[in-house]
Amino acid sequence: MKAALHAAWRAFCHLLVGFALSLVCYVAIPLFVLCAAMAAALIGAATWPEAVLALRRLTGFARVRAGGRLGARVPEHYLPMGGPLTERVRTASCDPGTWRDARWLVAQVLIGPMLLYVALPLWPVALLVDLVWCGLLRGRPVLLPVFDALADLDARWTAVLLRPSPSAQLAERVQELSVTRAGAVAAHGAELRRIERDLHDGAQARLVALSMRIGLARRAYGSDPEAGRRLLDDAQQQAEEALAELRQVVRGIHPPVLTDRGLTGAVRALAAAHPLRVTVSAPGEEMAPRAAAAVEAAAYFVVAEALTNAAKHSGGSFVKVTLDRTQPSVLRIRAEDDGCGGAREERGSGLLGIRRRVAALDGTVALDSPVGGPTVVEVELPCVW
Amino acid sequence: MRVVIAEDNVLLREGLVLLLTTAGHEVTGVASTGPEVLPALLSGRPDAAVLDVRLPPGFRDEGLRAALAARREMPDLPVLVLSQYVEEAYAAELLAGGARGLGYLLKDRVGRVEEFLEALERVAEGGTALDPEVVTELMSRRGREDSLESLTPREREVLQLMAQGHGNTEIASRLSVSERAVSKHIGNVFVKLGLPPSDSGHRRVLAVLAYLNAGGRSVG
Repeated sequence: MKAALHAAWRAFCHLLVGFALSLVCYVAIPLFVLCAAMAAALIGAATWPEAVLALRRLTGFARVRAGGRLGARVPEHYLPMGGPLTERVRTASCDPGTWRDARWLVAQVLIGPMLLYVALPLWPVALLVDLVWCGLLRGRPVLLPVFDALADLDARWTAVLLRPSPSAQLAERVQELSVTRAGAVAAHGAELRRIERDLHDGAQARLVALSMRIGLARRAYGSDPEAGRRLLDDAQQQAEEALAELRQVVRGIHPPVLTDRGLTGAVRALAAAHPLRVTVSAPGEEMAPRAAAAVEAAAYFVVAEALTNAAKHSGGSFVKVTLDRTQPSVLRIRAEDDGCGGAREERGSGLLGIRRRVAALDGTVALDSPVGGPTVVEVELPCVW
Repeated sequence: MRVVIAEDNVLLREGLVLLLTTAGHEVTGVASTGPEVLPALLSGRPDAAVLDVRLPPGFRDEGLRAALAARREMPDLPVLVLSQYVEEAYAAELLAGGARGLGYLLKDRVGRVEEFLEALERVAEGGTALDPEVVTELMSRRGREDSLESLTPREREVLQLMAQGHGNTEIASRLSVSERAVSKHIGNVFVKLGLPPSDSGHRRVLAVLAYLNAGGRSVG
């Protein structure tokens, strides 16, 4: 009964806010119409885009409100407003979103008060009936949940009215995909440059230095065999270092351990070599098909970066890594440490690199690191291509 | 000889210093970034400069730009440019200002210590040292084949070595022929390419390089 009462009160508050919103809309309609008329008459056209933007903010609030109630974001799609005045006026008028918003504006004026008028007289009846029904007869509340239903109704029609048309949603998806694809191309270019630089500064330079040492040793061979031997020792060391560099570069491109052991094995290898205590669990791994090489490599670097950061900054002693494939279409990576938190993305470029790499695969990165800890990095990578 | 070095990789820089001091040269200045090159050259007063093409901050062709700038500031300064890979465009840019006292070698050549030192000395004396790969690229440039077709294989070899900057004696020893034979080949090459005959080694090299760099047309 107490819970039902609480829920009913929350739902009623939602309806009250809806009513307030209706009052705002009531004022907004004539203003909006005035701005539209002025734009049509070519006087004060500058106010028209501003009015549309204000309307977008108002519907933005309504979206958040409905989304909060429904537990799912109400998608939003508008044409970007910018450029010279004529361009903005055109965008404001031609955007289907504008007329969608206007439709909602009118509907809200009617529906907001209507729902409240139903809800207001319901209070005494509902209280009386449910007090008797629940209090005395130990039944389940019957009338109090009606408030919830009303509030849900309010949220649902808002969502329906404000949801962009399927074509607008598709357009948005296309835009999103172009952005991530551009990101992928840029990430690929950056990756190629990084590899070239690593080879140039590392292995290639070491090989030149090695060749130089051998040349010097040859020169010293006749006159000073001792110096020659020293130079040859140096040369051998250079050769070994060049090999180590090459291994590093290869590992940076695609860690061979991934090919050999798969993602979980590779991450376990990372964990075993890590200074902190690291546990690795991989629920759903046996059931799911193996992810694409790019996804595995990204996942591997996500974990490697998270572990590096945990060792460097967290001050903790323990990291828990989960590679979740219980949903076959997605790989969820979660790394949680017991450190002091306060990790911020601007501090290191490592996380930025991870973010780019993940975004290129259409994945998401979430970092939660309140001061005092713990730090949790959560990454989702789609496994359907 | 006094030498200034510009190389950003510590390993290679130290290697070069070791190599040059072992050979009895004096390293009077070291630069590790593009902007440091000119000041190092001005204060080091070198007899020759050894520059890496790629230097910080941009890691593109700062060394090359510095080399070109240095040759504008100090026109007689011999410059030996080292590069991790051969880029014909770079060679062309360098050669455009004249091949006197100019070297462009792959870094790999440093390992052949004697040859590298010999090339550096040649450059310091106003000669030329071009990497065989650069010369090969220059000779295989489009539109060049026709004019070079008339040369016999041996004459081509002589031309190649000459373009690298070698003198008659060196060419003769490399091809295991007599110097007289080399002079004869060189004479033939000049006649076939329509170049004005000249006797001095350097001037011949310059003529050949100008010819190759100009895209196969006879110059001057």
